Amino acid sequence: MSIEYNPKYMKHFYDPVWENFEDGFWQGVKQRKLKFQKCSGCGTFSHPPRVRCPKCKGDGWEWVESSGKGRIYSWTVARQEVHPAFRVPFEIVLVEMENEPGVRIISNMVDCSAEEISFGMPVEVCFREVTKEWALPMFKKLGG
Amino acid sequence: MSLKNKACIVGIGSTEFTRNAGRSEIHLAVDAVTAACVDAGLEIDQIDGMSSYGTAGIYAAELAPDIDVARSLGIPNLRYFGQTPWGGGASCGTVAHAAMAVASGVANYVVCYRSLKPASGTVRYGRPTAIPAEYRYSYYMPYGFASPTMWVATLAKRWMHETGATREQLGYVALVCRENALRNPRAMFYGRPLTMEEYLHSPMSSDPFTLHDTCLENDGAVALIVTTPERARDLKQKPAFVTGVGFGTSYDSHSMTSFYRDSIGLPECTEAAREVFRMAQLSPKDIDVAQLYDAFTVTVPMQLENYGFCKYGEGGAFCQGGDRIRLGGELPINTSGGMLAEAYIHGMNMIAEGVRQVRGTSTSQVKDAQNVLVTGGLGVPTTALILTQGH
Repeated sequence: MSIEYNPKYMKHFYDPVWENFEDGFWQGVKQRKLKFQKCSGCGTFSHPPRVRCPKCKGDGWEWVESSGKGRIYSWTVARQEVHPAFRVPFEIVLVEMENEPGVRIISNMVDCSAEEISFGMPVEVCFREVTKEWALPMFKKLGG
Repeated sequence: MSLKNKACIVGIGSTEFTRNAGRSEIHLAVDAVTAACVDAGLEIDQIDGMSSYGTAGIYAAELAPDIDVARSLGIPNLRYFGQTPWGGGASCGTVAHAAMAVASGVANYVVCYRSLKPASGTVRYGRPTAIPAEYRYSYYMPYGFASPTMWVATLAKRWMHETGATREQLGYVALVCRENALRNPRAMFYGRPLTMEEYLHSPMSSDPFTLHDTCLENDGAVALIVTTPERARDLKQKPAFVTGVGFGTSYDSHSMTSFYRDSIGLPECTEAAREVFRMAQLSPKDIDVAQLYDAFTVTVPMQLENYGFCKYGEGGAFCQGGDRIRLGGELPINTSGGMLAEAYIHGMNMIAEGVRQVRGTSTSQVKDAQNVLVTGGLGVPTTALILTQGH
């Protein structure tokens, strides 16, 4: 199962806003690339993005494209509707990225049932269109 | 110089807790503040400070702003006013700010209040209508990750995986809070018992939570009056001394979505715990009764760990069977029923219950309670209080 959106309501929920220092992430998403912020001084990764590196306090950042591979760190299955834009049930996952130390990202699973999800399960990113303008990074089972 | 015992809570006031109050947040706040003045033996016009909080940034701007409440009460001037951010995390912080204001002479009588009507009002918590304008929600809302229940569920699921805590252990938190509410005629769940069978077989709202794991949805307001120990002597009630206050954010703090730390627990609690015990010069073993913020069952065992009542990983076992946390146990919790069973007033009702324990007037009174711990909301920047009988 994947999350099912009710297109009637998507304009309420998908017109992302971001700060200038987050631009690299969202520009990446526009190009269907998952990019994370990496400190050019000390190599620390950050997600969500920050103005300065929390470790070395430098403000030089690179936007590095991720391999998109990670593992399930936690998840929940939403079974009670909070808004008709999102048809329940659907799965929300917190993925810990494999090649970017300390980076986790919230997303949905694609083509995967709630029963299949487990701690540490390997997943990889895929992009799924949610509106004409936007495709979101989501995850599928590795090799799935 | 320390803030320890430089201020006390001398009045508590509340509206009824109900599914439909039939009046606005401002009106509810006015009623609660009036009741607190009557309780303290103060004239309304003696109030010269207000310390409040709301959910600005998540759902809506403050719906009972201090000047509107003051205007309806006819308060001539506020020599102190302040808001503490981050929703329920602010609850104990409002008293800390009030204590600082009266101890420093900025104001004499500061009222702390929270008024909300998610049950019948226009703003229903956990029911978003759009992405909030704040940038951080763009990482969550488009995925339908749109309610505090889902956010805390994700944290809870990992914590349960790491510690081996069970649904049944969370169930005992719900049961003990309900037992306390059965003795409290003000409680929303007064007269409505809960069994483990019922708890375990309720449908999931957001795995691992059922409706019994999440707080009530109700209308109501609670107000507290803070002044100095010297002024308290002339008032009606036995004062509850503010013996310790603590704030904490820890590192990489987000509002309910702190998913990016090495371990996704509640480190802000550990920070607030250190501060509140340091100021009070007390340790967890000195606490006779605790009002632990329980918007979700899971935050009770997590806080038992973070506030040092047990080690990491032992919080679930602490709640097993309920005997250690119920009245008569080693640490009775949430003696009014808490927000799982009395009412959800964003933690303000739990501070009022802390005051009742110090006064000896709780419906689930812990015999000769000397030191009471009260905590603020979790998963957000948090605050804590220790209230005592003083010296």
